[in-house]
Amino acid sequence: MRIFLAALVFSLGVGPAIAQETGFAVRQTEVKKEPFSDAETVGTLAEKSQLKVLGRQGGWAQIESGAVAGWVRMLSIRMNSGQSSIVSGLKSLFSVARTGSSGTTVTTGVRGLDKEQIQNAKPNPEELKKLASFAATKTDAERLATENPQLKNQKIEYLPQR
Amino acid sequence: MMRALAMAFVLALSAFPGAATAQFDLNFNRLIDTGKNLRDALKDVDEKQEAEIGREYAALLVGAAPLLANADVQRYVNRVGRWVSLHTERPDLSWQFGVLDSNNINAFATPGGYVLITKGLLERLKNEAELAGVLAHETAHVVKKHHLNAMKKGKGVEAGANVVSMYLEQQGQRSAAAKEKLVGGMKEIMLRGLDKDDEFEADRMGVVIAARAGYDPFGLPSVLQMLQSLNPKDSELSLMFATHPDPGSRLDALDRAVGSRLDRLASQPQAAERYAHAMQGK
Repeated sequence: MRIFLAALVFSLGVGPAIAQETGFAVRQTEVKKEPFSDAETVGTLAEKSQLKVLGRQGGWAQIESGAVAGWVRMLSIRMNSGQSSIVSGLKSLFSVARTGSSGTTVTTGVRGLDKEQIQNAKPNPEELKKLASFAATKTDAERLATENPQLKNQKIEYLPQR
Repeated sequence: MMRALAMAFVLALSAFPGAATAQFDLNFNRLIDTGKNLRDALKDVDEKQEAEIGREYAALLVGAAPLLANADVQRYVNRVGRWVSLHTERPDLSWQFGVLDSNNINAFATPGGYVLITKGLLERLKNEAELAGVLAHETAHVVKKHHLNAMKKGKGVEAGANVVSMYLEQQGQRSAAAKEKLVGGMKEIMLRGLDKDDEFEADRMGVVIAARAGYDPFGLPSVLQMLQSLNPKDSELSLMFATHPDPGSRLDALDRAVGSRLDRLASQPQAAERYAHAMQGK
């Protein structure tokens, strides 16, 4: 049942943890009818306007703010901090999906990535061998790019520092 | 550096109470020399040495948190990561990617091309473009050798001197003590993070590398917005927030750099279904 639920949530395309719910405009921002810069402008958000984020498409976020609804550039909004809990309720996902019984590596607080745990960490060459066994060849990677959806190489310069 | 200086001072005082000043100068000059050697040594780190340091670093990371026991997810992350890495300036490194079994939210790179992401972060990503964005950010650290930069800039002298001493040992069998020092230096970098400007640079490069690999370039900014929506006081975030600029300033910097430059690529795939499928472990 749990597996089924997890699968259902994923198949609906709902993020496993975070509904990116509310945010604000970092500056005065035009709201477009569609997620394109030359789409019709349906309103303007003042700087710091609170808004609800309904979704994202490419560089555009679908928002609602008071009576205005439409699309704004996603980088012109910031999220309100602390609205989402870390506890996802789906923590069991990977344990139910685990294949095989090898290495039930429950950490029980001994190992981990907290400050103290890093300070006490010891190199683990055996685990590193395991890591190497998962490595993908160039061919493996190129095959991924031919699957659905295909990934097409693009030539793009790095962004200048601003 | 300060600690070493203070220590030298204390030692000097206790050993030679009458000649404290002279002794202090002597130790101080030796420290300066160490700094100089360090810069010279790191300039000449070749690819083989970089890979060796990287291997030690990665062994430490998987020593801190074990690998997630799910071979399918590990292989999937490797395929995405390897594809992304082919769109960097160092496509021929022996790149290796992995998922750490930790609820912490973080990702790490090491010199030489090891990239590790935590289960906690993986669980919070919505699609493959977001994963590609995170991995691309990490590959940028490798491409630009940001760890070597962190060692050079005396986040500093201690971490770097450790590496140097390792090299000095490298002629013959490397000593356990030298190795231990290297590990200590790596822990220092893990806990203090890389140079903040290098993080901003990796963000700017990350969106472009992901876009070169054919993904929606806004995966990484989307992850940063997700991070921003979390409670920064949550313990799972403490290491990442201690070692990175806050997500808001990273978004501000990307906002300035991106503008409308990536508009024509924004319709590239996010591959949400493939991601969901892979995360089911099928």
